[in-house]
Amino acid sequence: MNPIDRRCFLRAASAVPFVLGARGHGAWLPKGDARALLVLELVGGNDGLNTVIPADDAAYGKRRPTLSAVRSGARPLGDGTSLHAALVRLHGLVQGGDAAVVHGVGYPGPDRSHFRSREIWHTADPAHTRVRAQTTGWLGRTADELAATIAGVPAAAIGGLEVPLLLKSARVTVPSIARIEDFQWLSATADGALPASSPTRAVPGCAAGGAARDDLRAFVADTARSAVELAGDLDTALQRYRPQAEYPASELGRDLQLGSRLLVAGFGTRLLHVAVPGFDTHARQLPTHAGLLAQLDAAFDAFVQDLRAHGRARDVAVLVHSEFGRRTAENASQGTDHGAAAPAFVCLGGVAGGPHGEVPDLQHLDDGDLVATADFRRVFGDLLRWLGVEPARVLGAPFATLGLFPAVERR
Amino acid sequence: MKDPLAPFEPSTRDPFDLAKVGHLLRRAGFSASLRTRRELAAAGLDAAMRWVLPARDRADPAADLLQEAIAFGDVGRVRAFRVWSALQGEEPLRDRLSYFWHGHFATSNRKVADARAMALQMATFDRCGSGSFDELAQAMCRDPALLRWLDNDVNTKAQPNENFARELFELFLLGRGNYTEADVRQAARCFTGWHVRDGQFQFHAHLHDAGDKQLFSASGALDGGQVVELAVARRESAEFLAAKWLRFFVQPEPEPASIDALAGVYERAGRNVGATIETLLRSRLFFAASSQRSKVKSPADFVIGTVRSLGARAAPTELASTMAALGETWLEPPSVEGWHGERAWLSPASWLLRSNFVADLLAHRRGKLRPAPHSLFDGLEKPAERARAAALLLLDGVVGAGALAALADVARAHEGDDPAAAAAVLHAAASLPEYQLS
Repeated sequence: MNPIDRRCFLRAASAVPFVLGARGHGAWLPKGDARALLVLELVGGNDGLNTVIPADDAAYGKRRPTLSAVRSGARPLGDGTSLHAALVRLHGLVQGGDAAVVHGVGYPGPDRSHFRSREIWHTADPAHTRVRAQTTGWLGRTADELAATIAGVPAAAIGGLEVPLLLKSARVTVPSIARIEDFQWLSATADGALPASSPTRAVPGCAAGGAARDDLRAFVADTARSAVELAGDLDTALQRYRPQAEYPASELGRDLQLGSRLLVAGFGTRLLHVAVPGFDTHARQLPTHAGLLAQLDAAFDAFVQDLRAHGRARDVAVLVHSEFGRRTAENASQGTDHGAAAPAFVCLGGVAGGPHGEVPDLQHLDDGDLVATADFRRVFGDLLRWLGVEPARVLGAPFATLGLFPAVERR
Repeated sequence: MKDPLAPFEPSTRDPFDLAKVGHLLRRAGFSASLRTRRELAAAGLDAAMRWVLPARDRADPAADLLQEAIAFGDVGRVRAFRVWSALQGEEPLRDRLSYFWHGHFATSNRKVADARAMALQMATFDRCGSGSFDELAQAMCRDPALLRWLDNDVNTKAQPNENFARELFELFLLGRGNYTEADVRQAARCFTGWHVRDGQFQFHAHLHDAGDKQLFSASGALDGGQVVELAVARRESAEFLAAKWLRFFVQPEPEPASIDALAGVYERAGRNVGATIETLLRSRLFFAASSQRSKVKSPADFVIGTVRSLGARAAPTELASTMAALGETWLEPPSVEGWHGERAWLSPASWLLRSNFVADLLAHRRGKLRPAPHSLFDGLEKPAERARAAALLLLDGVVGAGALAALADVARAHEGDDPAAAAAVLHAAASLPEYQLS
């Protein structure tokens, strides 16, 4: 291990128990700041052109002879574009000023590989060529910036087994959480958690001989003690959360409820990632895509209601994006192939609602693809400023603001 | 230390004891039952080495299962088969070396998307993993999964793709700093036309750049096979592999003198991997106190080792999903660099998952998982004796007085209920910091 890695590990190892040691009720809450960001990734390449539809543009109908059927029932945004009819509640959110539509988000030199394009979004590095040991994700780097102020679970991947590249960090160990119950410490002799009185609870911090013999054992003992404290706080934390909305029975509904639970329960969670698969609509796209958007709309609406009822809608922001949009021209199977720029949504957190940026021009395409009008790092930059993190520290350079959070700009 | 790789000679002062057997079986295999460990401690170092070393000329009893996994085309079956093999423990060091090579030539099915190609790559590790490194490296340069993983199937004379050549030098053969960008470009040309067709390696002469190249000190119409020959013969390659073996088998931060010594062993052995690793596993360095419990157990070490130590029966698919939840999905490493390992494996969340896995095993909550050590406390009444028995089973008895006292407290809390006491004390022993370490 090189000296830098070692130092990072020691920092990570020592930061957590230090804060935990001083714990009392509510010590999991971030110091002075509860702003949190959830990134909701539509995996597979969401068809942006049929999500935020340039309904008034004749060129759209020409390039989408069958798929432009989505114009009927679509809900106007007031700038010549309309939201897909299935996004009825998201449309309400935009109209109510709680969600922003950012047109034409992408990066220079768009890559049509799912694999590569997701990596580019996750690293926020369009020059990214391949994943290496030291490769970190933009949310992981954000966690590094915030690390000094958070205890508990500062960042988490929800749903999957694997932590996505987006959350890879140099200093913070980010868990992937499928169920909140995984934070219980289970008993080996009865169902459920180890009782608070169990003498087993004294064991993990108990290095052989009663004192840690070296650095590695100290690291393991500290990790174990943190784990036991985390589990010990779980019940209290769960008491703090009662669902205030009816979540749909979908996987996304379950994942977003878990997100809400982590945000509300006071684990200090400030960065979350949720992935929704299925957006790779190469054939017979209309019903599939409508179903995916309807599922998204229902689950996301429950999440918003839940956060509002818990008084967290102002300090939680949500970014919804996909690794790319799809080709402007539909293919021969009433579907669409991998494309480039697409709209992104930024919701809650006091965002300046409504459409932002420039609608990509269907007359001036790049090899049949939309040309991005907003670099994705501008969206990330606005979110980072809102979180209180200097964007250049995460993105490597400053990017012009899109003005998504005017209150932050004025600060 | 004069020669760090001088053979360990057991003596009355420093015997080949249960702790050393446990160490050998964890590092050269996936642990074993207490009974096996005791037998091997009594039989001595040579017998223990024979137990872990690959049995030559033995028909592979698992070949049929592998064929089945290939026929189904389901990578989950291939993965379960790998776990099953490690769980059986018939070929400890072979499985261990294949595990090493999987992390070394780290190939992910997430891009390859071909269970058959992945299964064949694993079979190559099993077959060639302890033989000549030259042969293994040559085989890997013709491995369909690896070629596809690193885009060599689009590497052509007209449009050279350097991905494969770069990783070959950086991650597989030489290590960073031991080649130049010019070397990468030249090597990429040598591998043009080394493609995959119908799941097989195929050389496409018309896409191959047959022109003159310059690589290291050689020049001429070099091809991929010669790139490997030139690279593996370099001292840097020997040191690169030696350092990686030391980190994997012995300790995470090896001394330069140890790397130098092992590189020499490897070169003198004609670059034979098995002979090099056997020398390493027999060395004083390997058995040194500073090597024992110096590494963080990988999820595979923890999950498979726990099941084997407890003598439990387990469904490989379930174990594979537990390992995945802990961050280690075989056949889907996070990148071509493999798993980063060591402390990156452990976080509060993963510690809980690990401990809960042991609790689930012991509490019969794992469906097909069935713990066997119910007789652990037969004839043992005193809490201190029970604590020692659990420490022996899971930690070769190497625990301090404070830990033993804490385990005895757990035993005392369950007096009069032997199965519960066994489960509780074993769970507590598996929650000691030492149990996370290999």
